[in-house]
Amino acid sequence: MLKIKTIHFSLLLTFLFVLFVINAHARNEYPSPPKGILKLPPYPAPEIKISDIDGKPYNLSNNKSHWIFVHFWASWCVPCRKEMPAIQKMWRNLKKQGLKIALINTAEDEDTIFNFLGIYAPDIRALMDADGTATEKWKPRGLPATYLVDPAGSIQYQALGGRPWDKPVYLNFLKKLLSKK
Amino acid sequence: MNSNLTNRLLVLSILVNLSFSPLLLAAQKYQLDNKQLKISIVPRTAEQIGAFYEGRGFSKKMINILKQQCFLTVIIKNKSKNIIWHNLSNWRFESNNTDIMRYDRSYWKNKWQKMQIPQAHQSTFRWTLLPETLDFRSNEAEGGNIILAYTRTPISLTAVFKTKVDSAEKPVNVKINNIRCAKH
Repeated sequence: MLKIKTIHFSLLLTFLFVLFVINAHARNEYPSPPKGILKLPPYPAPEIKISDIDGKPYNLSNNKSHWIFVHFWASWCVPCRKEMPAIQKMWRNLKKQGLKIALINTAEDEDTIFNFLGIYAPDIRALMDADGTATEKWKPRGLPATYLVDPAGSIQYQALGGRPWDKPVYLNFLKKLLSKK
Repeated sequence: MNSNLTNRLLVLSILVNLSFSPLLLAAQKYQLDNKQLKISIVPRTAEQIGAFYEGRGFSKKMINILKQQCFLTVIIKNKSKNIIWHNLSNWRFESNNTDIMRYDRSYWKNKWQKMQIPQAHQSTFRWTLLPETLDFRSNEAEGGNIILAYTRTPISLTAVFKTKVDSAEKPVNVKINNIRCAKH
């Protein structure tokens, strides 16, 4: 009798363990990305301590516990100019849902950034990587470069070149990410 | 917005388009298009190079050095379903049976550091160069400049890209002949 009870207890324990593993796996499983976005083996996002266009400090790690859309750009880069309006539209759509954004200009001056973002993305805080060193720590493939950083501070996805972020397929993907906190 | 600012933006936009939009310069374009890769090469004139870097606030000293070189804007697209490995050390430029010198990132880094060029300009300059190495994903396209010693004679490019199909290595060999630096 004792032997049967022990077997039952072991089976129950095994069942609970399997349930726990499945649940943990489901919680960590991020959605498959749309075309042009790579799912990466997660790694810690490099530190970013820079200033915005008004001289106020910005620290990427202050945004932990949120998904962060980290975007590097320059006004002379033609695909950056094409992509920026889509980022502005995406941001209007998702900022209330908890997405944080770090729009980082690479090594240009305040006038250039102000003039450019005033036209293409007036709602987004302009961050300045004045000497380009913060950008280089992230080793982008080129400009523009976008990374999606999870609430634990790990890079999970990287976009290949400019993407139409305001299109439903990209918006829905970002919404799915935001639902996985 | 005042008219001065509008004019500056207009000039900037024209300069960027003239300098780096290959579509506007269809006359001098060298292209290779096969099942795996599409490579476009557009030689840039000294005026285009000067206008682009002047628009970024680079010093005359820096611009004069750049204007003496042979600038080729290269765009590579991976058309295959596999990763294609690009490495500029596998590219060879030849003219009249002589290898043409390619000035790589470390050459420019040393030069700009010796000239005490501001970090921001060094960084912008690096971003305008073609990456030395890159694992091109399916459908990915990246571009940038290659800078060669200027020559008036035609140049042949031979390049090898590594790929892996079903775990077997299958290099993609590329040859483009008769490339000419834009006239100075």
